[in-house]
Amino acid sequence: MMSILAAQGIWWWRDPASPQPLQWWVLAATVVTETAYLVVMPQWRYRVHRWEVTPEAVYTQTGWFNQERRIAPIVRIQTVDLARGPVAQLLGLASVRVTTASSAGPLRIHGLDHALAVSLVEQLTELTVSDPGDAT
Amino acid sequence: MSEGEFRRLDVRMLLVHPVQEAVRFFPALAAVFITGRTSGRSPWWDLGALVVVVLLGMSRWFTTRYRISGGQIELRTGLLNRKLLATPADRVRTVDVTAPIWHRLLGLTRVEIGTASGTHSDRIVLDALAAPVAEALRAELLHGRAARPADASGVDPVAARHDAAGPDLTETGADVADRPERATDSVAAIPETVLLHLDPKWVRYAPLTTSGLLTALAVWGFALQFLGDVIGPIEAAVNQFEAWGLWITVVVLVVAATVGIALLAVTAYVLAYWGFRLTRHVGGTLQTTRGLLTTRSTSIEEARLRGVELSQPLLLRLAGAAHLSAITTGLHHAEPGGGGGVAPLVPPAPQQASLGVGAAVLGDPEPLAVPLQPHGPAARRRRYVRAVWPALVLVVVAGLLEWRVGLPRVLFGAALLPLLAAPFLAADRYAGLGHALLARYLVTQEGSVYRRRVAVARDGIIGVVVRESYFQRRAGVATVVAATAAGRQGYAVLDAPAPVADTLVVDLIPQASHFGRRSDCDEGS
Repeated sequence: MMSILAAQGIWWWRDPASPQPLQWWVLAATVVTETAYLVVMPQWRYRVHRWEVTPEAVYTQTGWFNQERRIAPIVRIQTVDLARGPVAQLLGLASVRVTTASSAGPLRIHGLDHALAVSLVEQLTELTVSDPGDAT
Repeated sequence: MSEGEFRRLDVRMLLVHPVQEAVRFFPALAAVFITGRTSGRSPWWDLGALVVVVLLGMSRWFTTRYRISGGQIELRTGLLNRKLLATPADRVRTVDVTAPIWHRLLGLTRVEIGTASGTHSDRIVLDALAAPVAEALRAELLHGRAARPADASGVDPVAARHDAAGPDLTETGADVADRPERATDSVAAIPETVLLHLDPKWVRYAPLTTSGLLTALAVWGFALQFLGDVIGPIEAAVNQFEAWGLWITVVVLVVAATVGIALLAVTAYVLAYWGFRLTRHVGGTLQTTRGLLTTRSTSIEEARLRGVELSQPLLLRLAGAAHLSAITTGLHHAEPGGGGGVAPLVPPAPQQASLGVGAAVLGDPEPLAVPLQPHGPAARRRRYVRAVWPALVLVVVAGLLEWRVGLPRVLFGAALLPLLAAPFLAADRYAGLGHALLARYLVTQEGSVYRRRVAVARDGIIGVVVRESYFQRRAGVATVVAATAAGRQGYAVLDAPAPVADTLVVDLIPQASHFGRRSDCDEGS
């Protein structure tokens, strides 16, 4: 999104004929679509986003236009990570990532409250202590 | 073999390593030489650089040591930056013994040990050992455990499974032999069963694979670097083409390209698969041996085999041929884009050979023969839409170009071809689409130009991903990806009807049963 605006900025700056009508049209189209995107996408994503942990499995549902549901049995979990980026730290949030032996199926739970994320990691770690094999 | 003490690589590597280092440092050596000549430096400097490189190469032999001790494989490498790599021996999944041509001349082989983690940095590479030592090491790593009394007693499940599959094998004709054969190497005590021998007649399938095309592209890319030298012949050829006119030129070029690609494909096939042999060892491993110049021998622990993949590119399928690969952990990038863990079990050969070997390896002929559950009208519609759309866009663009800038009629005609082919492609893609859930295997098939049937063991499935794009949700279908630690890491059941997909998820992962159907507040706005 920023790159689209930046490209237009360069166009305005380098093109000796600017401002011309075509440039205004492109800018207007960009602003309209980006605004719609910013209004729709986060809400849609938030409505779709779900996660659940039971004593047997972890489940996530993510995405908006394209959606994904991921399920991993607790017995297959290999690692549980907790990550906090700078913005997440500012907002008191954290992400939890659960991986199995397959590179196709890591589960990510974004934007959790930090305290909740920590307790979730502890809960998962306790559940995965017994190790019946990882099917490699 | 005595345990505990560190062993070195073969002493003949003192000849190979310096050459390898010299090749690696060739740019630096060339730079030293050239700057030396232009600045009038003493030639002793050049000699000194060469000696340093040679010593560096020789130091690899002195610093590399390995041992198998206490259930651990340890590898020590490095002169300045010392490194110790240790891995439990029971994590070994595959052993790959490769002998490039220069190694073969010296009687050496390179041993690569693949472990369960499958990451590249954890692979143990011993470059190189004497061929008999490598064979002994392979037997020690893979069969050493099976030779213990606890495992040797009782009925061998592998042998039992093999007997069950016997009748199917004999039906497949002379190509798939079923006779025990004594190993010719130093560990001749381990009996083996030959499952497949390459029949030289199978080379006729080589031009039908894509390997020729890929080789041709590689050669083309290489040749482009020397384009300057061949300007003369190209100009002569262009003049000749002008004399011939368009149609003859097209025909000549197509024929030349076809013949060239076919020759390359045959060469690639012979280089890769010459002397291909698939054997099963009583210790519970499958072993493939292949290659004309570089011989390569891969051992796969059968208990860790997670399934097979039957591939049929369009041309091979029309010729009634196929090739088969194993799905396993511990192999890296055997196939471009294929991820790790794909090892050929049958080269491109008549379909019966692949089916026979598949039945023998899986212990069950059903996964590769079972009729599949089709995915219904919505999936069929999606095949047509997805085939026709891009073709239609191409025609519209070509039409616009012809209208505005006068595109030649020939090109416009060419742009129509994909649209004509699209319905047939879509119909064939739908005909090939389907899945089946058996007691031990999930079978899934898709594709037309590259049709692929995968049988993946259900006990190797360690997670499920359900993908639904907006259009898939509207059509009421979903793609279920079964995640495994082996092979391509994930195998997709494409566009299954949503209720079928949900049932499939619960069947694959019983623990998923109480995560209900996705919520209704799906389409926010």
